[in-house]
Amino acid sequence: MMPVIDVKHLTKTYTTYKRGAGAGQTIRSFFQREEVVIHAVNDISFAIGQGEICGILGPNGAGKSTAIKMLCGALYPTSGEIQVLGYSPAKDRKRYVGKIGAVFGQKSQLIWDIPPIDSFNMNKAIYGITTQDFKRRLEELSELLDIAHVIEKPTRVLSLGERMKCEFVMAMLHQPDILFLDEPTIGLDVIAKVKIREFIQQLNQKRNMTCILTTHDLEDVEELAHRVIVINHGEKVFDDSLQRLKLFLGEKKRVSFTFADSAGKTVFNNAYTKVIDRPSDFQITLEVDTAQISISDFLEDISRKHRFSDISVKELPIQQVVMNIYENAEGVPG
Amino acid sequence: MNSLKYQWQICRAVAGVTYKEWSAYRTHSMVSIIVGPVYFMVQYFIWTAVYGDHSLLGGISLPQMIRYFGATALIGYLIMDFADWNLSMLVRTGKFLTFHLRPIHHRSFALFQKIGHRSLGFLFEFLPCLLIFIFIFGVDMRPASFPWTILSVLLAFMMNFYVNYTIGLTSFWLVQSNGIRSAFMLVSGIFSGALIPLDFFPHWLQVTQFFLPFQYIAYMPAMVFTGHYSLGGLELSIQQAVGMQAVAVFITFGFNELVRRLAMKQFTAVGS
Amino acid sequence: MKRYLEVFKQCMYSAIQAAAAYRMNFIISSLITLAGNILFPLVTLLIYRAGTSFPGWTLYEVLLIQAVFTMSSGLSSLIFGGVLWTTMSHIREGSFEVILLKPLNPLFFIVATTFSTDSIGLFLGGVALFIFSVIQAGAIPLLFWLQFIGLFIAGTAVLAGLSLMMAAMSFKWVGNSRISELADSVLNIGKYPLPIFPKAVQAVATMIIPVGMVGFLPASALLGRVQARDFIAVLPCLLFLAAGVWVYRHMIRLYEGVGG
Repeated sequence: MMPVIDVKHLTKTYTTYKRGAGAGQTIRSFFQREEVVIHAVNDISFAIGQGEICGILGPNGAGKSTAIKMLCGALYPTSGEIQVLGYSPAKDRKRYVGKIGAVFGQKSQLIWDIPPIDSFNMNKAIYGITTQDFKRRLEELSELLDIAHVIEKPTRVLSLGERMKCEFVMAMLHQPDILFLDEPTIGLDVIAKVKIREFIQQLNQKRNMTCILTTHDLEDVEELAHRVIVINHGEKVFDDSLQRLKLFLGEKKRVSFTFADSAGKTVFNNAYTKVIDRPSDFQITLEVDTAQISISDFLEDISRKHRFSDISVKELPIQQVVMNIYENAEGVPG
Repeated sequence: MNSLKYQWQICRAVAGVTYKEWSAYRTHSMVSIIVGPVYFMVQYFIWTAVYGDHSLLGGISLPQMIRYFGATALIGYLIMDFADWNLSMLVRTGKFLTFHLRPIHHRSFALFQKIGHRSLGFLFEFLPCLLIFIFIFGVDMRPASFPWTILSVLLAFMMNFYVNYTIGLTSFWLVQSNGIRSAFMLVSGIFSGALIPLDFFPHWLQVTQFFLPFQYIAYMPAMVFTGHYSLGGLELSIQQAVGMQAVAVFITFGFNELVRRLAMKQFTAVGS
Repeated sequence: MKRYLEVFKQCMYSAIQAAAAYRMNFIISSLITLAGNILFPLVTLLIYRAGTSFPGWTLYEVLLIQAVFTMSSGLSSLIFGGVLWTTMSHIREGSFEVILLKPLNPLFFIVATTFSTDSIGLFLGGVALFIFSVIQAGAIPLLFWLQFIGLFIAGTAVLAGLSLMMAAMSFKWVGNSRISELADSVLNIGKYPLPIFPKAVQAVATMIIPVGMVGFLPASALLGRVQARDFIAVLPCLLFLAAGVWVYRHMIRLYEGVGG
């Protein structure tokens, strides 16, 4: 299969200068500056095929955003090569960005003081969409995302979830071949997250649209991605299927309890659970291996021993994922 | 006595932190090193042309006029603040509450912040511009009387603070105090004397200035600097002018205290 | 080209919509800027009132310079005024990519999306002042009007160039909200009859940073006080705008990290 995205030895470095604090150092820094070279992305290669959903995972500051900015054509690579849909994104930027869509979770493209419909009209002009196409697509998208009732309200009064859905419409009106998503579910509530993920899946299945998403939320990746690339300190540390990532991680969840009675005498460490954090006898976080015991069995077991007033079940944090990958690094083939 | 010492310690801490906080932006305030001298230069040539062969205008000679403009520019760096903007921001975002919970008035806190902020202004705006005025433009920047000028600038420092803080307090009643603020800035820009000495205004406008806060912020200290004060037909010695300024600061403080108490009542009643 | 016009139209519409969303605020701030600009020639007025003058210039002639200056600033600020603030906030928040994601010339896009309705007060204040002072000048031949229009456009180009240069500066001087003061201070020179300044300042103000073209020269044209050689000064104005465009685009290229 011909890859639609082909990245070879991609590297991006920044040069910054150290800055002193005192008046003396300020004056000195006018004449002599100490260079600091930062490798935001360091020699990354990968290829992505048509119709794939690929998750790029990594802790904050790992280089995910820099990578996606280069893929979108907003930044030039320091070295290495990117080919997307046959374009070199940064060099052919103006023609290229008409073929892709992008949603940046923290960078709104909607105009704050006016209704989303006016921002959509702006994109209609920008991408040269015909009135006929525009109407049809807008109808289709607003039905899929269930936002017909909000697009006439000023953007500033919309909830974060509604706004994010409108951001997706902004990115999809010109029917891009590839969709780039940078932290698309950040800050959203559970229902909005589910709706957005469903939407991405539908686009992928119906149109065979390729989708790249960066996130530090493991759940996004589990629900959506076929393929996962993990980046840490600018370097690729994992690139394989979701199933294989799960092999590395095991099927572990983190469960936090607030007990109503003291759990001081109970031993939690055993074959399938491990104590992660225990600030007091009333607050305990456990890591549960769900390959060995289902969450419901586990909870039943605990509730027989203790009464608890609060509980939360979470995915492993991304830092833990990266650590697990490093620990198992010897096992990675090739 | 103990409470005074306590206040002094807080003042040093708050001013110190503000100084450090703004140090990160010290290159920003260095914009003044270009802007100040350019404005001054334009004033210099305007007035040199306007004087032509007049030796006195409004009782002021050209060199005195130049000294006057040098002084208003430099005094501006020593006394400016944005207490109004800061307070209205705190009220709008609801952060004011956090100050309400501290054992110190926000007004004192803001004043200490201003002290820290202006110490930075002294180093990075006032001193460089002073040196440029003296050595590049060759202006005689020696005040008529050092102690009285310093006293007058200190009073202007307080005056400007209380006036701006009062403007900021209006945001407890008004959602958008921007309109008031920019209207006030407009009027104060004209009547502070930074553009043209107040002697040039029509007589009735000069007289009204005694009852408005503006002249006490820039015009009066600049005139004290030149050693000659007159307005609305009234000639005052430096000592008398500073005395009058002190009375004006005292009245403004009283007014500010009144508005502040009303504002606190409003704040605790509405709880916004 | 048609697409660019379409985008510009849509942007104007959005800007007006946004202003309408805060109607009261918009009206009040427009009125304040309008009042502020009618008061701006106050210093000049007071100088003439004191029985003195800028040698060789009547009060109305100086007012005309200042009226043209205000109109020109208003026009430029309507179109280019938002570029500095928008660039500054995009750089500070690291969201400049949003602009690079559009299949358009980024400079065009940023200019189009920052149409500043706030400046309408500034422009109208200038127009009012202009009408007031031009009436005093008596009959003005058509040729002078044509010369005026040509120089006025050149002056507005200078202001546009300055706006772009300031905005370009904000790429490097991140978050410095005082950058615009730099432009304002230099522009001050254009508000007064240029001959009151020494030759060196005059040369800089017509050839290097041609702020003399913003108020002084177009007003002089209306008064029939320009000479043929003054029209040469149009050239540095266009060069200045070109330099502004070049610097801004260069900064975008640096932002993209061309060649590291």
